[in-house]
Amino acid sequence: MPEAMGFFTDTTVCIGCKACEVACKEWNQLPAENGGVGTLSGDSYDNTRRLDGIHWRHVRFIEQFKGPYDGRWLMMSDVCKHCVQAGCLEVCPTGAIIRTEFDTVVIQSDVCNGCRACIAACPFGVIDINPVSGTAQKCTLCYDRLKVGLEPACSKACPTDSIQFGPITELRQRAQKRVEQLRAQGTKADLYGADPKGPLGGLNSFYLLVDKPEVYGLPAKPQLPTRNLSKSAGFSVASAAVLGVLALVGLRKHWMDDMGGPGGGGGGGGGGQN
Amino acid sequence: MPGAHLKWGWAWPANRRVMYNRASADLKGNPWSERKRWVWWDPTFVNPPDPKTAKPVPRGKWVGYDVPDFGATKAPDAQPKPDGIALDALSGTQPFIMRADGRGWLFVPAGLVDGPLPTHYEPHESPIQNPLYKQQTSPVHKVWAPGKPYNQLAVVGDPKFPYVISTYRLTEHYLAGAMSRWLPWLAELQPELFIELGKGLAQEKGIKNLDWVVVSSPRGHIRAKALVTDRIGVMNVGGKRIHHVGMPWHWGWMGLSTGDVVNDLTAWVGDPNVSIHEGKAFVCNVEKA
Repeated sequence: MPEAMGFFTDTTVCIGCKACEVACKEWNQLPAENGGVGTLSGDSYDNTRRLDGIHWRHVRFIEQFKGPYDGRWLMMSDVCKHCVQAGCLEVCPTGAIIRTEFDTVVIQSDVCNGCRACIAACPFGVIDINPVSGTAQKCTLCYDRLKVGLEPACSKACPTDSIQFGPITELRQRAQKRVEQLRAQGTKADLYGADPKGPLGGLNSFYLLVDKPEVYGLPAKPQLPTRNLSKSAGFSVASAAVLGVLALVGLRKHWMDDMGGPGGGGGGGGGGQN
Repeated sequence: MPGAHLKWGWAWPANRRVMYNRASADLKGNPWSERKRWVWWDPTFVNPPDPKTAKPVPRGKWVGYDVPDFGATKAPDAQPKPDGIALDALSGTQPFIMRADGRGWLFVPAGLVDGPLPTHYEPHESPIQNPLYKQQTSPVHKVWAPGKPYNQLAVVGDPKFPYVISTYRLTEHYLAGAMSRWLPWLAELQPELFIELGKGLAQEKGIKNLDWVVVSSPRGHIRAKALVTDRIGVMNVGGKRIHHVGMPWHWGWMGLSTGDVVNDLTAWVGDPNVSIHEGKAFVCNVEKA
């Protein structure tokens, strides 16, 4: 089995050219929204706004300014995180979402029935329905390219190597070095999702950020939908017990009524009436 | 590298911001000026062995705020090799590495119509007098169709056109956009023409983000949506507060993404040598549509 592969996105060198977005759409043949006819968002240079079924890469533009010319313009190319513990994979009822030999998470379009459970389960809001296929879709980390030894289209197209592709262990080392270099220069820098002991067992697409994750639209503590499993299971057991007791009481009343009542009437309907 | 830029954007090649920047240091590799130090020779720098030959590399490296435009470990006292090619044929004191003799040429035998020393001229249209000296603009710059109705030019400080405007490109579109505005994947990324203006000017003019705005110059007027931002704003020039606005110029009337033609505003003025259109700096007025 090949090594775990993924992305390291160094946001400090992103120039917001959106070559990754276009390369992704070209390789994966994803349609433009409304055939390419749109309106200006008014949110800096970001007219994509979100990840969804036809936008598998999204470059965020964050303007942090105190006054004219006084501030910084952060850019970050966002994508599916390929979580080691993936919420989408846990909830998929059809088994359409699989973990590949590259430790990436892929939705098989021909197995997906479009139930949307994964859309709600993703802590990052990555997945959505592709209106062309009617199925849930997201970044595949170019599974088809990886299969034949090519790197994903986005990292290949990135002119500044903001998006780096490689074995996760190697990327983590490289990222750590970059953090140290930036800190030595006096820049605040932190990795998001690089820690295998961290949330979701680490992200196979992790980031170098210079501000809090929330600034980039990333949750500070991403959680799995199964976090509520033990609680809700307990609740289910408790409610089952309560319902069972009520049912017994009801049956007993029904039985008592049958014994002492005028008889007749469809007994079969009794359970429902009580 | 911090100091050379604002940590966004990238300059080809190698993210180097000033060409021939070894010239910012004197013959011995020390900065000519402490205040303007840019790239200099650090003789104590310990170099790793050559990655190709694994041979040790002597101490010393060009360091500084910018990516050095010189052999990174070529010492200021390095001698040219008689049979060397390219950088090997130059000494450690010859910074102009794209010239055969490694020297910067103040005078050239042919070609340039101005020079030899760099100076500052104001653009043809400017809100201020040249603060450097009385020569306002380049005496040899090109003006096409002078006096024609489609090339009317504003006088210095024209109150009808008080703002400085720059036009530029976006990474999503190509040249004037005639091709890229037809491509759905590119059109969706920058779907409409806009004008970037500072929050101060927007407030003065009652313009909100995404409002329609009319931009005018002596040549014409066009409409665009406002993108209000602090990335652009007001400058203090010669005691005057001057608002600066910016527009990408990729739009036209055909394609998936259509919009007004920004070159309807620009002056038909060009630089003396290669006739580059002066679309980076001219004057305009901005009003809410």
